[in-house]
Amino acid sequence: MSHARLRRPLIAVAVAVILSLSGVAVTASAEADTAAKGDPIKISMTGDVDTFNPFTAILLQSTGINRYQYESLVGYGTESEPVPGLAGTWETSEDGKTWTFTIPDDRMWSDGEPVTAKDVVYTYTSIMKDDALQAANGGLVTNIADVTAPDDRTVVMTLKSAQASNPGQEIPVVPEHVWSKQDPETFAADKDVVGSGPFTITTYKTGQSVELKANPHFWRGKPKISGVTYVAYKNTDAAVQGLKSGEIDLVDGLTPAQYNSLKGSDTITRSAGIGRRYQALAINPGTVDIDGKPMGDGNPALKDPQLRKAIFMAVDKKTLVDRVLEGLGDVGQTEVPKSYEAFFGFGEGHEEVPFDLDAANQLLDDAGYTQGSGGIREDKDGKPLKLRLMGRNNDPAHAQMADFLTSWFKEIGIGLDVSMVTPDKVNEDSTLGRYDLYFTGWSLGPDPDNQLAMNTCASRPNADGSGNTSENNWCSKEFDAAYAAQHAELDEAKRAELVKNAFSIIYDAYVSDPIWYAKSLEAYRNDHFTGFTKQPSKDGVILNQNGYWGLYGAKPASADSASDDDGGLPGWVIPVGVVVVLVIAAGAVAATRRSSTAEDRE
Amino acid sequence: MAVIETVPADSEDTRGSSLPRYLALKAGGALTSLALVIVLGFFIFRIMPSDPAINMTRGRKVSADEVERLRAQMGLDQPLLVQFGHYVRDLFTGDLGTSYVYRRPVSGLIMDYLGPTLLLTGIAAIISIVLGLWLGQRTAWRRGSWFDKIHTGIALVFWSVPTFWLGLLLLLLFGGGLHWLPTGGMSTPGTHEGGIDHVLDVARHLVLPVTTMVAVIYAQYLMVMRASVIEEMSADYLTTARAKGLREDLVRTRHAVPNALLPTVTLIFLTLGLLIAGAVAVEVVFSWPGLGYLTYKGLSAPDLPLLQGTFVVFSAVVIAMNFVADLVYRVLDPRLKAA
Repeated sequence: MSHARLRRPLIAVAVAVILSLSGVAVTASAEADTAAKGDPIKISMTGDVDTFNPFTAILLQSTGINRYQYESLVGYGTESEPVPGLAGTWETSEDGKTWTFTIPDDRMWSDGEPVTAKDVVYTYTSIMKDDALQAANGGLVTNIADVTAPDDRTVVMTLKSAQASNPGQEIPVVPEHVWSKQDPETFAADKDVVGSGPFTITTYKTGQSVELKANPHFWRGKPKISGVTYVAYKNTDAAVQGLKSGEIDLVDGLTPAQYNSLKGSDTITRSAGIGRRYQALAINPGTVDIDGKPMGDGNPALKDPQLRKAIFMAVDKKTLVDRVLEGLGDVGQTEVPKSYEAFFGFGEGHEEVPFDLDAANQLLDDAGYTQGSGGIREDKDGKPLKLRLMGRNNDPAHAQMADFLTSWFKEIGIGLDVSMVTPDKVNEDSTLGRYDLYFTGWSLGPDPDNQLAMNTCASRPNADGSGNTSENNWCSKEFDAAYAAQHAELDEAKRAELVKNAFSIIYDAYVSDPIWYAKSLEAYRNDHFTGFTKQPSKDGVILNQNGYWGLYGAKPASADSASDDDGGLPGWVIPVGVVVVLVIAAGAVAATRRSSTAEDRE
Repeated sequence: MAVIETVPADSEDTRGSSLPRYLALKAGGALTSLALVIVLGFFIFRIMPSDPAINMTRGRKVSADEVERLRAQMGLDQPLLVQFGHYVRDLFTGDLGTSYVYRRPVSGLIMDYLGPTLLLTGIAAIISIVLGLWLGQRTAWRRGSWFDKIHTGIALVFWSVPTFWLGLLLLLLFGGGLHWLPTGGMSTPGTHEGGIDHVLDVARHLVLPVTTMVAVIYAQYLMVMRASVIEEMSADYLTTARAKGLREDLVRTRHAVPNALLPTVTLIFLTLGLLIAGAVAVEVVFSWPGLGYLTYKGLSAPDLPLLQGTFVVFSAVVIAMNFVADLVYRVLDPRLKAA
């Protein structure tokens, strides 16, 4: 057969393939746009899953999903207050060392078996006795001396020393009747899981999806949605498109640009929840290791608190929030984000250093930093006051903030040498004290104890960077005393004041200037699901809560709220697109024909 | 990825040798490369300055003891040569170690992610090769014509477009905009596996990533085939063929193309291996659960056993494809067979 004859069938086949594919595509898009009643809610999953074994799961995505599967003895309410979990009530002895938890009769596992005190003892002692099971929650049991079950309904915990944080929180309790038959270290627990939370995993496809179904035995009542399906998306841009096309119902982790791009759709509701993370500018006050020996290569001039204070004065946080975050954040105060209201803000007698370039210049003049050549001041050794600023190259906000800081610092006579490097490099150099200034940030849990503990003198690293992590490479006896005071205070109101005071001491040392608490940006299809419970309830987040409220409160949208506008391209695009494709195809066919006749003539 | 124009470098030496000798030589070369890869794969990732134990526990409250225990668990507390010994010993039993992050055997993880990658790159490769070779010989035959100019132009434009950008553009248009095709993944969660529905579902998910990949890679086949045919066009045997009264089509398909295929076939096999490794960008854009993405994630811990495993697998595929190229070349080129 000659090629000319071969070509026609080839074109026919190509056309057939294109037509059938578009047919499949159109049918499928119709399916995607109408989420049937009773469908599970589909959520984009951009994080990685290490394992769903609650003893060893570390990554945020896995621990977040496990929160829906396993209750702790005590949970966090919508305002992050302690609320009943597996335990209905709990009591603390006067010395704060003995905690007694009572498990009501209605607590059941998802397979219908009752939850007993023995399950709790099994979980806690497994972690306490087996090093391998301490990967996820080992740090939470170090102060526990003993856990016992005098009867099926009572758990008694004896602590080594009094602690303010509730020892029944955070640790997911597993069913002994399932786990004792497995090797708890290697048990994957990612299929037909038996749990006590509102949803449990039915199937997990590595790198693709996690499917959970509603737990009919959940003690607060069966959820109103049939289940939750996490769909793996490896970039948020694609997830946003999935939300628009109706393939998924809920997306989190949006950038301000993505969030703003979803504005104006009737079917998509956006939610900017107050965040749990602070973003700060850290200043190296002269890093010292656990043995008191200097580490790293911080500029020695920064040991002067007056210079560090002047740097605080040269950071206009409001402008940074407005310009870099496009207003989607709150201006920072202490390291406690706004979402934890009880601990938020300065302690009594402490106040914020305001943005004031004139006052900063005055302060530097008074402290003896004379103007040198080129508008750069000189330090007390006569060297030009030039500082290095380090940020992460995977966070565009860091480079943007650096631009603003460079111009403000110039106005107070400080030169900046900016470098954006890999997150690993930032981690390593900051641990070893190899920086002058760098952008840092931490996410906080509802209990601030851990965050404070990282600032104690005991938390300084070894000379090689191993050992403990110090948050700000700084140590003060005054702070250590403030930390210890809040750690042992059992009265919630009194403790809140002590916590604020401790964080204010860090602030007043001018080692870390909290710039903002970025909002958590989420969006969902309101024509598919509604009723999400936020944490905090007023203006909080739907996903990544310290609890399961967000999805537990969700319910399918009523039929009449569904609308035709699905946030896609305008209607004229399809016919125009089809015409363009047809013209191109016709042109190509004509070109091929003409060339083939020309060729035949040759 | 660069266009590779290559013929086996040592084809002169093996010309006229017997088949077993030829096979032995080539297989020996392949095995030596593999051994080097295994050694290199172990040490290259240990040059990275970061400590996996510290990186993995960052941001959580851990004591120095816990970090040390983690290091011991990973075997990082032992001297480098001892670690290497264990690595090689385990490799012989098919054990690629246990991933630090996923806490699963690396071989199992690779198997989970290898299938999707092979599916995606396999289909993209077949389409690109057929399209590239077909257009390549047509454009060469009509060198300088509008057909030639348009097709080489289009191919080179796609070749120069960043994969990530093109993929995202297609995703925006056909996924989020027109809702014709899915925006990510390999299948819709909840679809019953094995049925015709599932096959169609996977096919729909394949359209965009395959289109992106084909658009970006078919140019190399087109250009090599084009150059190759042009080289043959002035050959005397074509004049002979025409003198026999053969039609132009037949001169091309029976005489010019088979000869021009020689260097092209080698290129095809060489690039097949590289395609698998080069699919990372497409896999990330379309959330394809493939091996490229797994490697990318492995770098962040760094998950040494996982990185070593994927490195060995990627390299083994490239080496195997080289070996196949050598064999095919011998079959196609009669001069190499003349013993």
